[in-house]
Amino acid sequence: MTPTQSTLIQRLAAIARNAFREAVRDRILYNLILFVLIITASAIFLGELTAGQEARVIVNLGLSAILLFGAFISIFVGVSLVWKEIEKKTVYSIFSKPIGRGEFIIGKYLGLCLTLLVNVLVMGAGVSLALMYVGGGSLVGRIWGAILLIFLELTILTGVAIMFSSFSTPALSALLTFFVFLIGHFSSSLLDLATGLGSRGAIWLFTAIYYLLPNLSNFSFIANTANGQVPPAAMLGGAVLYALVYDIVLMTITVMIFSRRNFK
Amino acid sequence: MPLSLLRSVVLPLVIIVAGLAVVASLSGYIERVRPAMPADYEDSDLSMNGSRLKGFALGSEGLIADWYWMRALQYIGGKIVRAPDETINIDDLRNLNPRLLYPLLDNATDLDPHFIAVYSYGAIVMPAIDPQKAIAITQKGIDNNPNEWRLYQYLGYIYWKLKMYNKAADVYERGSEVPGAAPFMRLMAASMKNEGGSRSTARDIYAEMLRSEDPQIKLTAQRRIAELDSFDEQEAIDKALAEFQDQSGRCPNSFAEIMPTLMHVKLPAGNEFQVDSANRLVDPTSAPYLLDKETCRSKVDREHSGLPLR
Repeated sequence: MTPTQSTLIQRLAAIARNAFREAVRDRILYNLILFVLIITASAIFLGELTAGQEARVIVNLGLSAILLFGAFISIFVGVSLVWKEIEKKTVYSIFSKPIGRGEFIIGKYLGLCLTLLVNVLVMGAGVSLALMYVGGGSLVGRIWGAILLIFLELTILTGVAIMFSSFSTPALSALLTFFVFLIGHFSSSLLDLATGLGSRGAIWLFTAIYYLLPNLSNFSFIANTANGQVPPAAMLGGAVLYALVYDIVLMTITVMIFSRRNFK
Repeated sequence: MPLSLLRSVVLPLVIIVAGLAVVASLSGYIERVRPAMPADYEDSDLSMNGSRLKGFALGSEGLIADWYWMRALQYIGGKIVRAPDETINIDDLRNLNPRLLYPLLDNATDLDPHFIAVYSYGAIVMPAIDPQKAIAITQKGIDNNPNEWRLYQYLGYIYWKLKMYNKAADVYERGSEVPGAAPFMRLMAASMKNEGGSRSTARDIYAEMLRSEDPQIKLTAQRRIAELDSFDEQEAIDKALAEFQDQSGRCPNSFAEIMPTLMHVKLPAGNEFQVDSANRLVDPTSAPYLLDKETCRSKVDREHSGLPLR
């Protein structure tokens, strides 16, 4: 089959595969070494520091580290993913092939999501091993629901980073994405704040932020997991749907902006 | 409408608006199906041991101590806010099950042994939860800060509340020897030995605590002084009621009948009786006293009074 005859899925898969390979070549996965060191050190030293609650601390520390490492990759790799192609002018050779701008953006996004998935899975395995080491084997099966929620959150954050990078510089995009990450975790408090404020303008502003920005607290389940809870199927289903719909919205906005961008 | 406009503008806008509408409703759904934290979550044991954490805090011991301190305040504050008013007794907070307060204060002071506010708070609040732990945290403060005479004052206060007057006298005596200690400390050492259980000693203790810069201690002292004033007032009212009953053979219908007598009474602390705009006899928190006609004695209106409940 010639390139012109390839299907949309094949074209997306090719771009995603390349984005993943690029991330590997850029040594993005080296962060796993740092993560493993942190978890191993924690597993060894936590016996000294904690009051007999090593497993609980390993869950809190490990899952928080997965989220933070993942957010770091989402933000910093996400904002440079498209920008690098434009800066190195490789985007011209890509668009000389029968690949649409939308396919390019979505392929890149999927490639980074694949990188994050590998990261999250390896880190999850690391946390599981650390849990077994400290005698918290019963929690091993319970952490994966929270890990799935973390991955879903990271897909949204990646979408936000790519969206900002489609019209802004990498530094500003990283800053804006970081703000979305922060505000997204406080968005339910924003609605409370809005109702508590007397000013009409403030109420309107905070309510708009609440509905427009992603509510990332929907994906927070670390403290629950440390207490032995597992996210129910209804919550996981809702979260998967939420992430999917929000990712589609983000990609639609990004493609709209990127399609109108002039590379001359 | 041209097809290109439909594909490049209208369709994406429809996707965006519909998508945002869907996620807004999904957000509420996820919140509803999210399981609540276990009931004992708030009171589950602390994960970290402050004394062990000390060497591993990368120089941020003070910051972590502040965090434990703030968490302690939120922990006890949250319990008090959520408890029904009638169950709060500031002399006995055990029914609130504040089992984590001591570990939180202990961790904060392990990480920052000179965090005086934590010891002060522990000395004032812990006696209502576990007097022995109140003594332990205050004694720890003295061990780590032997020149803080206020901590001796608080330890003396705890022993006084436990009616251990000799121990209280000893602590006040030791505190009085600290350079810069208030002269009151030496006086208290003598008062404890001679009249530890008297109301005037209690008033002296709270009057001195009122000078503290800690708002929590000030508030406790204010409430306790108001309580002592109320005890003095109730004694005077009951005495006037008994005299009226002896003279007329009946209990007065209201306090108005004994008001002329009360207006001439000199209360022990030099206070005078207060009446509100409706000319009702009120306690130090401006809540009207009630007349129990069955016993012909006064009583505090528990529903409206700000006096500590017993």
